[in-house]
Amino acid sequence: MDVFLQTLVAGVLKGGLYALIGIGMTLIMGVMGIINLAHGQLMMLAMYVTFVLNTMGVDPYFSLFVAMPLLFLLGVGLQKFLLNPLIKADTILPENQVLMTVGIGMALTEIVRFGFTSDYKYITTTYSNETFFLGKISFSMALTIAFGIAIAFTVAMFFFLIKTDLGRSIRATAQDKDAATLMGVNTGRITVITFGLGSALVAAAGCLLAPVYYIFPDLGGPFTAKAFIITILGGLGSTVGAIFGGVTLGLAESMGATYFGMEYEDIIGLTIFVLVLLFLPGGFKRLTKV
Amino acid sequence: MRGMIKGASVVAAVMLAIGATTGGALAADGIKVGVLLPLTGSQAKFGEIEKRSYEMAAAEINAKGGVNGKKIELLFEDDTGKPDVGRSGVEKLISREKVPVITGGYSSSVTAAAAPVAQQFKVPFVICTGSADDVTEKGYDYVFRVNPPASEYPNAVKSFLHEVGKDVKTIALLYENSAFGQSSSKSFEADAVALGLKIVVKEGYQAGAIDFKPILTKVKAANPDMIYMVSYVMDASLLMRQSKELRINPKMFVGGGAGFTLPEFAKSAGDASDGVYSATLWVDTLPFPGAKEYASNFRKKYGSETEYHGAEAYAAMYVVADALKRAKSITPRDVRDALVKTDLKTAFGPVKFISYGKKTQQNKLDTYLVQWQKGNLEAVWPKSVATKKYIYPTPHWDKRK
Repeated sequence: MDVFLQTLVAGVLKGGLYALIGIGMTLIMGVMGIINLAHGQLMMLAMYVTFVLNTMGVDPYFSLFVAMPLLFLLGVGLQKFLLNPLIKADTILPENQVLMTVGIGMALTEIVRFGFTSDYKYITTTYSNETFFLGKISFSMALTIAFGIAIAFTVAMFFFLIKTDLGRSIRATAQDKDAATLMGVNTGRITVITFGLGSALVAAAGCLLAPVYYIFPDLGGPFTAKAFIITILGGLGSTVGAIFGGVTLGLAESMGATYFGMEYEDIIGLTIFVLVLLFLPGGFKRLTKV
Repeated sequence: MRGMIKGASVVAAVMLAIGATTGGALAADGIKVGVLLPLTGSQAKFGEIEKRSYEMAAAEINAKGGVNGKKIELLFEDDTGKPDVGRSGVEKLISREKVPVITGGYSSSVTAAAAPVAQQFKVPFVICTGSADDVTEKGYDYVFRVNPPASEYPNAVKSFLHEVGKDVKTIALLYENSAFGQSSSKSFEADAVALGLKIVVKEGYQAGAIDFKPILTKVKAANPDMIYMVSYVMDASLLMRQSKELRINPKMFVGGGAGFTLPEFAKSAGDASDGVYSATLWVDTLPFPGAKEYASNFRKKYGSETEYHGAEAYAAMYVVADALKRAKSITPRDVRDALVKTDLKTAFGPVKFISYGKKTQQNKLDTYLVQWQKGNLEAVWPKSVATKKYIYPTPHWDKRK
């Protein structure tokens, strides 16, 4: 029983972080209809921001307030100057915006490698190794804080989308871009803001992950893949779906590691991905309708 | 315009000067030594440490007058970590460069492919790192090995368990799911079974995982006396940090891979690294002549840390230079005859090529057990080389200060 509970806790805590990674991706995917294949790389960049600030003595959680605005601006810039111009360009491939994100991801990785080399960087804080116990189940302090912040951001995002004008415009753009334009929504501006928001959210995930993991330039790729799986699990453009997707992936990986073997971690995530595509093509969104 | 002419003449002068020095170096009669190392590819990091160590040793030898007045000239050949490239690299060194002796050999598979080529052409090959057992079990009379073979790496762990850790009965084995991790864990499993120990958990994991708690929870439930881990540095760090989080308290944590002896491990794992043992072939605190100087000179010259691979390469260069000095002539045959009579104290330990068991022309060395104590890597086993007394059993996490 202890083994099961400990696995459950580990899976849910990791899932919270996954949700935050996925939510930025799902937002961009829903509004713009493209997969942002530089998502993990943007997170990697935020982790390096956290690392640099940490060498100056700034706490990783405090660096949220620096990394998020920075990545928001970067996201806005990328959308405005690199992605939006491509909509107008006539090419054989309709997916050239996706290809552009691949290029952005590669460029980010190599720029960071140039500046910081491929060596592993790590952030150690006083609470990196702290734990507390509920009964016999241990909770990592850093991951629990990360989980709390991730949930707070997700809830805030949810209400932002439901309650505010800007949020409604974003949802309108996601549902039907042409109709939204006709109703007077400046969809060009909305896509720019959405990409910025998505980048800022994944930056938050990076800041939270930094103290419990380590940092290297090639870290982006695997996390882009994870974000993609979470988005498909949850359904495109659904924040609630992203939470479900994130926690499902976290739980599946942990349970799989405990009961099948940890070498199958990725296989389990991808198997669920394929099953959802086959039997629940719209993701969890189909079930919740949010 | 005048500025330009002046500039051009300065450039010309500099070029002349460079030309003069390189020309001079070529004119002096040097001895070519071929070195086979992975300088690109996934093993390049260790290849670089070894290359730098060879260069450092060669520079030291040349500064002291070289080999009987002749300078050693190193010819590096990049094996890229691939056996076929290694083979053709050795062929090139022998047939085109006509080197009298070859050294190097990092990965086991490359070394195993390169050794028969050296044997066939009858050019001595002094292996510094490649550790597959069978390379020195084929009766090759032109192949020598400075480092111990792979099967002997956990010897120190075995003798420690035999003499101190007598109450260790059960073992959990965690390993990176790669060729290196799988083969190391397999050979350790065989050793453990031979010692009468029981493997209670055996789990592979994917390098780069965020969360090891699922397998660690399983380990905790099995409550083994010892946890043996084959991991690279950052996985090693996370494994220890999360073991601390879960309060797993075996009698000893032992690292079986290079990851556990690197300074980054202790720095990133923090207090979770304290008390962790690791098997290793060399540490700079060992009482060998030049060991400490080698490590500190390396740090001074390159601004990074070295480890046992570097020491192997450094020692191999001295072994080769020593044989070249004693050889009747600089021909492969005479160098080989001189190598057979090697009896040298190096920074990596005493080197003597002997036959034992199925092995021929193999250097026999101890392996060591090191332990992290308060952020320092201390040699603790065998007792003859210990810099600090071992802490056994490892104190419980909650009872640590």
